Amino acid sequence: MQFRGAFGSRIATSVPLMPKIRTKCFQETDYADSSLFHFPSGLPGFDRERAFVFLSRPDSQPLLFMQSVLTPELCFVLLPVFAVAPQYRLVLDEEALADLHLPPESQPIIGEDILCAVIVCARGNQEPPTVNLLAPVVVNLHDRIGIQAIQTQSGYSHRHPLAAKEELASCS
Amino acid sequence: MLVMRRRAGESVLVGDDIEIQVLQVTGTRVKLGINAPASVLIVRREVQITLSENQTAAQSVSPHAIESLLNALPALAAPLAHDGECQEFDETNNLSLS
Repeated sequence: MQFRGAFGSRIATSVPLMPKIRTKCFQETDYADSSLFHFPSGLPGFDRERAFVFLSRPDSQPLLFMQSVLTPELCFVLLPVFAVAPQYRLVLDEEALADLHLPPESQPIIGEDILCAVIVCARGNQEPPTVNLLAPVVVNLHDRIGIQAIQTQSGYSHRHPLAAKEELASCS
Repeated sequence: MLVMRRRAGESVLVGDDIEIQVLQVTGTRVKLGINAPASVLIVRREVQITLSENQTAAQSVSPHAIESLLNALPALAAPLAHDGECQEFDETNNLSLS
């Protein structure tokens, strides 16, 4: 656990080429430096969680696993926003752009400049899984810095049900 | 719900030690100033919703939940897998554009 408590920006360059991380879903696993992201404010409810590794597995596409560096037991399951809502409109206000180290009034492109993904809540039992469209996770892919960008005036639901297959087929 | 009309500079009191003042009204936006004891948690409603939803989502992650999620998602997985670039994280991002 060489990263515990260490959140400086030097992390990415001072660790071995393929560092390891203890994870909730994949035990101990290697990860690339390019998948380590810094969250200077943490997430609401998880203020102390300042670094996450984003993992994906061929057999669990298109899910993304946002694994805490500090807490092995903490992992969020995410989906790329366009996989869930192809028409999604992300709005980043000045504060969000600054937090992401992006220029004021810039319009970053999802998939090129930033990743935008939504947190999945698998409620289990008979309740269908939902995604939080109100508060997507947005990361700057160049600076590897991230925030949870609450879409205050969007009207998006924090419990958006995952669409039925027929709906998805017509969107793709 | 109690409804009051207030102008910029006016305030309302909640209990003995909480004051909410309307500082500025610009178009559709209202800037509020709040005086309250440090022990009173003040948070935007959508942040509270997100906080609660984050905690529920974090608790919901389990091998079983992921398996049933993947079973419910074949329609999502299929068009994304066609790109054939699903190993690396950066390429996963690109997949979200398809």
